[in-house]
Amino acid sequence: MKHAPMLRLFAALLTVASVAARAEDLVPLKIDLPKPLFVGTPRPIKVSNLEPQQAAASRAPLLVPVGTVLLSLNKPVTSSDSMPVIGELNFVTDGEKSGVEGTYVELGPGVQWVQIDLGAPARLAAVVVWHFHAEARVYHAVVAQVSNDPTFKTGVETIFNNDDTNSDGLGKGADYAYVETYKGRVIDAKGATARYVRLYSNGNTSDELNHYTEVEVYGRPVN
Amino acid sequence: MARAPTAVPKTLSRWLPLALLTLAALWLRTRDLAARPMHADEANQAVKAGELLESGRYAFDPRDHHGPVLYYAVLPVAWCRGQRTLASLDELTVRLVPALAGAASVFLLGLLAAPLGRWPSLAAAAFLAASPPAVYFSRYFVQETLLTAFALASFLCARQWWSTGRTRWAVAAGACLGLMQATKASAPVFALAALAALLAARPRPDAPNARRPGRDGLVGAAAALAVAALFYSSFGARLAGIRDALGTYGEIAARLGGGDTGHEKPWWYFLRLFAWQRSGGLVFEEAGFAALALAGLGVALAGKNPLLRWAAAYTGLVLLALSATPYKTPWHAIHLVPGLALLAAGAVAALSRTGAGRLAGAAATLGVLGLLVFQADRVARAYASDARNPYAYVHSSPDVLKFRAMADAALGRSPGGPVRVISEEYWPLPWYFRGLDHVGYWTRPPADCDGALIVASAGLADEVRPRLHGAYAESYLGLRPGFVCVVFTPRP
Repeated sequence: MKHAPMLRLFAALLTVASVAARAEDLVPLKIDLPKPLFVGTPRPIKVSNLEPQQAAASRAPLLVPVGTVLLSLNKPVTSSDSMPVIGELNFVTDGEKSGVEGTYVELGPGVQWVQIDLGAPARLAAVVVWHFHAEARVYHAVVAQVSNDPTFKTGVETIFNNDDTNSDGLGKGADYAYVETYKGRVIDAKGATARYVRLYSNGNTSDELNHYTEVEVYGRPVN
Repeated sequence: MARAPTAVPKTLSRWLPLALLTLAALWLRTRDLAARPMHADEANQAVKAGELLESGRYAFDPRDHHGPVLYYAVLPVAWCRGQRTLASLDELTVRLVPALAGAASVFLLGLLAAPLGRWPSLAAAAFLAASPPAVYFSRYFVQETLLTAFALASFLCARQWWSTGRTRWAVAAGACLGLMQATKASAPVFALAALAALLAARPRPDAPNARRPGRDGLVGAAAALAVAALFYSSFGARLAGIRDALGTYGEIAARLGGGDTGHEKPWWYFLRLFAWQRSGGLVFEEAGFAALALAGLGVALAGKNPLLRWAAAYTGLVLLALSATPYKTPWHAIHLVPGLALLAAGAVAALSRTGAGRLAGAAATLGVLGLLVFQADRVARAYASDARNPYAYVHSSPDVLKFRAMADAALGRSPGGPVRVISEEYWPLPWYFRGLDHVGYWTRPPADCDGALIVASAGLADEVRPRLHGAYAESYLGLRPGFVCVVFTPRP
């Protein structure tokens, strides 16, 4: 037994050597990957490559308090882009959400926002937004905020944020990106009290521009 | 002794305006040249050019690609810019090729239009310089601008041979014809249209001023064949390319005969491009230029100017051929521009001879040029990849510029990769992923989908998702309007 420490040391060395030998045997995994092919000029797409979105198709209705009304219809709209490329800012709250030409406003490239002034603070239940929904596309870095400060410097509450790279500069968000459909996107405002609603985006999967067909804000006026 | 001081200013005054116009054309064609995302066709051809640059090997592919000249033309530009590999090749290098050809076309048209007079010939060159399709596709790495430039060079050389009878001009015309053929298989359409238009032109003299026109014709044809064969055979390295060059017509016939290529358009498609159209709230128009060209057509029919009559017949025949073919893409529109520019210049010349005089001609020219420059800037820069732009055909989305940074970051985290692209369509991604190892492409999801980064078309994403092990974050990026990809990134 007096050789036990020596034996243990020998066993340990043997283990280390064995592991080292195995490590030396390891080689980088080589993956045989197919090369890109070419089949001529791509065809114009007439049908979206997106599957019908399960969540949008079977969307459960959002539960809101009794007395909730549409607060935003024909309310004034301002924007980071005061000279829209196409359309007028008042299209955002004019109640027309078909999405055909002449019903949406197109803002310039990069990060842009629209802001709705509800006229008075309200207890907000939901914000529903339709960007351009005549084609399968996803708007990048969609953020919705509410505040009683028209400059959005104080008292800002973020009610939706799918900007996972912080490209808007408002902080990273964990909400999911989504594909535009005629159903719009319903954002739960969770009873926040605010007079102003501001929505951001940073281009989309088709171009660098930002579009709004309609934004609806639902809630109850605060007496 | 007294002649010397005046000779230089005379040469200067003769060439300087056209040279300045050519420089202006080059500026229009090179401003922010690399900014627009690569179209799938551009990307594919750029990868092919990069492989030629890197390996020195080229094999003509009669099925999916046009002629070899475009790829070989990249080489000198790349060498001048110190690029030797596909990975180092960039957008600026490949797009400089059509941009230089587009500027050269302006110079050549100025020379071709010389019989119209000094100012009308400059007007013709200016119309081509500012034409929206000419500017747009001179910034686009496809064959059309080179084909136009070689066609104009060929017509110019042929006219020189006709009037001087010198054999060297016949050889030059033939060589340019060979370059046309080695650029794109549709070259005979334009050569035949030019020849047929001669019947309407009634040129003066009415026969070539050559002692042995038959022999010169044969020498020119031999030059054309030799140049075309040189390129198609990869400069002698692959003689089968010559056979394939002939076989390409069978491929084209089979494809067009097959019916639904996805690019069928109504017969009036090209007419509308040069008129007026509204799309998604944006208006694109070249109506002023078209009206001036139409007036020029009237002048050509009423008058006896051989060049105008030739331009009218040539443009009409090309328009007929392009419109009669159901397969239409906007880059073909560029072939109509030189003829229309000649006709518009003919109208300017005629206007200058009326009571209103040169002032009216100058006003018409400047007015139309102003509108053309405005429209050219919109299509080539402001809305360069916008789906509403009639020339941005099935164009890649600006989102494609984001894929490379994502792949670099993913391979930084997991150097072994792989980056998997699983999509029915994936160009121009192979261009943006050039130089990266461990990138693969599948049109159907493989059994193992895991990787450092997975780009799946939204249509295949639901099949990819269950084949992933571990946690992945998902985000969306666009390949082109209406075609969205889901990007899977392993969560840390």
